[in-house]
Amino acid sequence: MSTKVIMPQMGESVVEGTITKWLKKVGDNVGRDEPLFEISTDKVDSEIPSPAAGILKEILVPEGTTVQVNTVVALIGEAGEAVAETAPAPAEVPESKAAPETPEPSIPAAAPPPEPAVSALAAVEAPPVASEEGPASALPAAAAVATVIPKPGPKVQPRDIRTSPLVRRLAREHNIDLSQVTGTGSEGRITRQDIERFVEDRAGAPSALAAVSAPAEPAPPQKAMPVAEAAAAPAGVLAGTAAGAPPAAAAAPAPAEIPQFVGESETVAMTPMRKTIAERMVASKRISAHVNTVFEVDMTSIVQLREKHKVEFERREGVKLTYTPFFVKALVDTVREFPIFNCSVSGDNIVYKKPINVGVAVALETGLIVPVVKDAHLKSFTGIVLAVNDLAERARTKRLRPDDVQNGTISITNPGVYGGLFGTPIISQPQVAILGIGGIEKRPVVINEAIAIRPMVYLSLTFDHRVIDGAVADQFMARLKERLQSWTAWID
Amino acid sequence: MSQTTYLEAIRQGIWEEMERDDRVFILGEDVGAYGGAFKVTQGMLDRFGALRVIDTPISESAIVGAAIGAAYMGLRPVAEMQFIDFISCAFDQITNVAAKSRYRWGAGVPIVVRGPSGGGVHGGPFHSQNPEMYFFHTPGLKIVAPATAYDAKGLIKSAIRDEDPVICLEHKFLYRRIKETLPADEYTVPIGKAAIRRRGNGMTVLTYGAMVYVALDAAAQLTHEGIDLEVVDLRTLLPLDRDLVLESVRKNSKVFVLHEDTRTGGIAGEICAIINEEAFEYLDGPVLRVTAPDTPVPFSPPLEEYFLPKVSDVLATARRLASY
Amino acid sequence: MEREKPAGVASGEVGRSRRVTRKSVSRPVTRAIDPETHRRMLRFMALARELEDRIERKLYRQGKILGGVYVGRGQEAIGVASAIQTLPDDVICPSHRDMGAFLVRGMTPPRVLAQYMGRRDGYTRGRDGNLHMGDLGLNIIAFVSMLADSVPIAAGIALSFRIRKQNRVVLCYFGDGATSRGDWHEGMNLAGVRKLPVVFICNNNQYAYSTPLAAQMAVANVADRAASYGMPGETIDGNDVLAVYESVRQAIARARAGEGPTLIECRTFRMTGHSAHDDASYVPKRLFKEWESKDPILRYEQWLLREGVLRRTDIDYVHRSVIEEVDRAVEWAEDNPYPPAEDCLRGVYHE
Repeated sequence: MSTKVIMPQMGESVVEGTITKWLKKVGDNVGRDEPLFEISTDKVDSEIPSPAAGILKEILVPEGTTVQVNTVVALIGEAGEAVAETAPAPAEVPESKAAPETPEPSIPAAAPPPEPAVSALAAVEAPPVASEEGPASALPAAAAVATVIPKPGPKVQPRDIRTSPLVRRLAREHNIDLSQVTGTGSEGRITRQDIERFVEDRAGAPSALAAVSAPAEPAPPQKAMPVAEAAAAPAGVLAGTAAGAPPAAAAAPAPAEIPQFVGESETVAMTPMRKTIAERMVASKRISAHVNTVFEVDMTSIVQLREKHKVEFERREGVKLTYTPFFVKALVDTVREFPIFNCSVSGDNIVYKKPINVGVAVALETGLIVPVVKDAHLKSFTGIVLAVNDLAERARTKRLRPDDVQNGTISITNPGVYGGLFGTPIISQPQVAILGIGGIEKRPVVINEAIAIRPMVYLSLTFDHRVIDGAVADQFMARLKERLQSWTAWID
Repeated sequence: MSQTTYLEAIRQGIWEEMERDDRVFILGEDVGAYGGAFKVTQGMLDRFGALRVIDTPISESAIVGAAIGAAYMGLRPVAEMQFIDFISCAFDQITNVAAKSRYRWGAGVPIVVRGPSGGGVHGGPFHSQNPEMYFFHTPGLKIVAPATAYDAKGLIKSAIRDEDPVICLEHKFLYRRIKETLPADEYTVPIGKAAIRRRGNGMTVLTYGAMVYVALDAAAQLTHEGIDLEVVDLRTLLPLDRDLVLESVRKNSKVFVLHEDTRTGGIAGEICAIINEEAFEYLDGPVLRVTAPDTPVPFSPPLEEYFLPKVSDVLATARRLASY
Repeated sequence: MEREKPAGVASGEVGRSRRVTRKSVSRPVTRAIDPETHRRMLRFMALARELEDRIERKLYRQGKILGGVYVGRGQEAIGVASAIQTLPDDVICPSHRDMGAFLVRGMTPPRVLAQYMGRRDGYTRGRDGNLHMGDLGLNIIAFVSMLADSVPIAAGIALSFRIRKQNRVVLCYFGDGATSRGDWHEGMNLAGVRKLPVVFICNNNQYAYSTPLAAQMAVANVADRAASYGMPGETIDGNDVLAVYESVRQAIARARAGEGPTLIECRTFRMTGHSAHDDASYVPKRLFKEWESKDPILRYEQWLLREGVLRRTDIDYVHRSVIEEVDRAVEWAEDNPYPPAEDCLRGVYHE
């Protein structure tokens, strides 16, 4: 994995720079921020520090050469990496554009991000022709039809007919040959009144006029629809193939049992992530005996605790202090008292797991992903905050490693983000429980025979009744609740 | 019920808002003891005191800058430009600070910058201008330009309550000429909504400010010629009420724009572009413009009269479009 | 009116360098500053220095920061010793060379770096760059490129305190070049006329881009301009953190007591170009040499050691921890994502 060294833009108007001197040779060790080369530009001469530590693997732009800003001028390899192999090098030199669009952070990605890997897999599974033509063809087909539909009949002679945009549209909509219409406007122009009168005369009924002069709805002409639909249907079939699901593996019920919607619609292939989610959710519902229990928790202590510490915490740690880590920490401590919540079912056996690895669901625009806080039972509270933050951040920026989403032993999810009271989440297999956190909201509650306003939250637990009974689940939740409500002192 | 002038309506609007909300205060040149050059703020010093009615040095940029600072702190400043022409001195504070603040760092600037605009009073080049287009081009601002006493009051109230910077262009020609009976109950006029002043069939004129009356006069004459002109009063220039504009265009198919501002780069050009993009196939003729010529506003009566669009200009344009 | 160069500029020492250009301002002996405040001031000065060094000399040159980069190297005493005296409800209007003031008031290095890099969690979410940032929650007003625009704004903020009868003050910062702009004079005048609670703090670093002071103004000192606006003005050694502290302390006290605004001219030097791409070739080399010996951080450290406020190990710890903090911040900021492109369309109006 190499880090690209680029020609920096030293000044807003500067578009190129000359490498005057390389301060390191290929194969040299170089430290991060250690001077690497010298440049000269229209505005300034400067020494450029290395963006990363490692070995100068390759110099792509020799001394004395002028290149555009953002051109890759060298590659820094990790220590121990072979120096010679230079596969991507030649391709990258010409990529010198003035515009710095998509400035990818030059920190090397630690591992190939999971998404490309998945989609590559999908591409391999899918027949190449289908994957290219499938979803794409729906649009052009429909569009083409729409422009063709107008009328089989009359064609407008361009010769001496003077009209207006409105008149041409009305003629098209009413199948009128404009050469048949007499214009009364300036220089014989066909006016709106002319064409309306023509329609009226032709139809001999006032209703036709009404149709003409109701121009407010620019709805697509109706005959277009069946055609567009027809075009979309095969596209949907192709798209299904493109997604690459081997029919046998599909978890969905037989398609024949599902009545099909009739009417205008659009069919889009599921993304690989969507497909995975779909399969796993249905599978989990079949595997586990899902049961839910909901508890309400008074969050006053934690809200106060967070308010008191969040600014200082953010200053100190550089990350925001959210509520999620509080729940993770309380969950972990409670799971330690109830090990059955950290097990899985294997045939006729129950497998108790030693580490507590908490999956924390993160909603992405494209779907849901559940990165895992590993060894959460060994982590300090701050350690949990940092881990949660790091995972969420990398989830959103698509930089999770495959390992980050594996080996969870219990999960937590957050259905309250948009104001939901609580959810009934689905267990992530092979786990046996998942905790759903509702939104924290101020509610009136009765305390000591008086009504008080308190920040409250609903916690919903989904557990697998195969191994956990209702009474145990409620005891578990009662402990969790107690833990959260009595959490008054800051712990690091 | 007595009649209220356009000017008095504005005064009532500000007054009511100051009564309603103690965050509202006014600042500007001679707004205190003197009551403002046109007396829009008359009596306010006595009623609301010197902390809320603030006479400033002749520093338009500082007036707007100070308004922005106070708005950051949660107040609702109403800054008067003695003549709207002087808003040019505050251009930087309005366009670079106020307009971009929310976008840049999330800090809204709920200020009102108001003042008398427009000609017809022999004010000459520096007391007659229509500066709307300098600001129309600046994302982040709102601009209102009422034509009636009802709207003048309702819009200044909405402007004061708005979370974004609003420029209120009060037409000084209308200040004391326009009178109407206003509702006894409190009301506001929403920003961003145009109004149809005269329903018509077959042709639309889009206009605002003092030109609304020119359009209505012309429409009355045109009925004798079989032209039924619909008069749309834009009321708010930014954001434009595109829905109502396009609705009227689609209904009538022939349209022209009338404004007192000069021609090149005037709002008519932008409206033409919108119609062209959104309603081309509803047009039964070109979109025409009736505007002032591209000159400064002249002083001498015959020159100024020539400069300002008038009923005869509107008649000629309407006839040309009708016969198209 | 005295017109000599401030004494501290020549002496290069700390704590004895103030020279008042207006005698009427009373000058009690510097009130004792507690050791914790000393430690915090040193830490913030060192943090500002390290952060800006990293920004200007590393990240910018590595192409990780684009656009304009303007730093306040050598001017750290001014922002830090002034802002450190504000109360949470007070407001600051810093300029582009007042990193120290931003940090003192609660902005954090990770988000400052994200701001420079145009990332999602920068203080303007990528919509503006460098120190063009503010946070109403921290009572920090964002700066614009049109110099001195924040001067009338500061007056308006102070006006709001007057209207609401709040005992708060505003600190408004600018450079020597900004005092040439009309908005500066309009704002100063309004503050003077209304006796508003503002402390105007000038970073006089002697160059406005490449234009030296003498080509910028016809008076010898920025502080001389104060007389026109009926407020006291004084010229102090801006590289002497204790001089800045004391001068601002008194100005804040005056403002809180309802005695009106003060203009404090802090003489300092821009130890770099106007921006990161400017090699400052127009500045005589001897000036850099001369001012290097008056580095505000080194001078402060010597004073702290001499007075026994801090030990060498304490100072070393400050520098070590600052480097670590910036290391962590760089890492965080580089990992911070860019805002989604369509974010371009959001936030122009109240939503």
